[in-house]
Amino acid sequence: LSRCRMEASCLELALEGERLCKAGDCRAGVSFFEAAVQVGTEDLRTLSAIYSQLGNAYFYLHEYAKALEYHHHDLTLARTIGDLLGEAKASGNLGNTLKVLGNFEEAIVCCQRHMDISRELNDKVGEARALYNLGNVYHSKGKNVANAGTHDPGELPDDVKNALQKAAKYYEENLSIVTELGDRAAQGRAFGNLGNTHYLLGNFRSAVLAHEQRLLIAKEFGDRSAERRAYSNLGNAYIFLGEFETAAEYYRRTLQLARQLKDRAVEAQACYSLGNTYTLLQDYEKAIDYHLKHLVIAQELHDKIGEGRACWSLGNAYTALGNHDQAIHFAGRHLEISREVGDRSGELTARLNLSDLQMVLGLSYSTNNSMMAESQAVENSLNGGRPRGRRYSMENMELMKLTPEKVPNWN
Amino acid sequence: SQPLAGGQAAELQSKVVPSKQIIHSDNMEMEPETMETKSVTDYFSKLHMGSLVYSCTSKRKNK
Repeated sequence: LSRCRMEASCLELALEGERLCKAGDCRAGVSFFEAAVQVGTEDLRTLSAIYSQLGNAYFYLHEYAKALEYHHHDLTLARTIGDLLGEAKASGNLGNTLKVLGNFEEAIVCCQRHMDISRELNDKVGEARALYNLGNVYHSKGKNVANAGTHDPGELPDDVKNALQKAAKYYEENLSIVTELGDRAAQGRAFGNLGNTHYLLGNFRSAVLAHEQRLLIAKEFGDRSAERRAYSNLGNAYIFLGEFETAAEYYRRTLQLARQLKDRAVEAQACYSLGNTYTLLQDYEKAIDYHLKHLVIAQELHDKIGEGRACWSLGNAYTALGNHDQAIHFAGRHLEISREVGDRSGELTARLNLSDLQMVLGLSYSTNNSMMAESQAVENSLNGGRPRGRRYSMENMELMKLTPEKVPNWN
Repeated sequence: SQPLAGGQAAELQSKVVPSKQIIHSDNMEMEPETMETKSVTDYFSKLHMGSLVYSCTSKRKNK
């Protein structure tokens, strides 16, 4: 291949890669970009653009190690040719990728570099985008540490709180710039993530205000996915404000949109949230109805963990209604599934539920001595301040002890 | 500047909510990331493209 034919074919392949990625076919786009790299080019700016797009394509395909590799090549190249804007962009992309990989400290350095260069170049758009990325990194960092323990929003260790407060600060700085620029789409994104940050910080009223703004902008754009996200997040915030009726209303809208958008996983989540909300409202028939809907979809999607949660919730709701046969059935299913997925904590919870139910039903549990002994041991250790590690299907749940005051129709 | 801060002191976690029944905190819906984009056409001005095509075709004619 002569040099000019090589250059032309590299360019053609890259342009086809760009076209395919824009059309949403990243997998095919990647093939063309990789072919373009194979052919090669002496134009380092072209090569930088190819690396950058390969990095983004792999990012959208959730192949983060490859995304990291290509964004790193892009950064090296941009520095080599002294392309400051190119370096800023590569740093931002590298930062986002490192964030997803959980490497928060390096992600912060990269996003900071994106911001510093943007400011140096007086690039307001770039600066705003870097601030949004920084907010996202600190939000992830906070959430990541928070998830290591199990606690509700608002009950946070200091390091988590610091990270989340930084995230809120960056989102607000981003908002002030994008408002000035009149970029409504960017405002929508910032409001959504700011709302979630306030939610984790336990500022539920502020969370509602931010998500209401997000909802408004989603409707402006006719963006139904964003609208659905806002409803779901509003529902979550109202739960923790203790306004369960309002939460139920938002979750119903979430469900309606999930069905319109034909997203089964999201539909399942909405049913689950509704089931929990009706449990809080002590409307157990409705709770059961939604948990059963959730169960059907979880089975359809082969989501074992979701199925386990559904059975656990159904067991509790049937217990509350005094329907012990159904309660035993679902507690048994919960036990089986917990064993299947290796969820030790779920398994122990299920054992306790079953033994409680059996006691209620006056069954002889002498045959179940070993189970009872084990359950008793678990109970003691749970009440004795068991270390709270990450739990799987029973995340953020504590043992629901069945006591007469919780179950009105106990006898 | 906190445009959204309002009565945060009053926003202590509601005691009404039995957390044991809720797994709401793990289904937060985040907004998508924004990636910075580059294009080969950013750097390849039409002039450059034109001259490349010209040089290739003229070379072919000379053969």
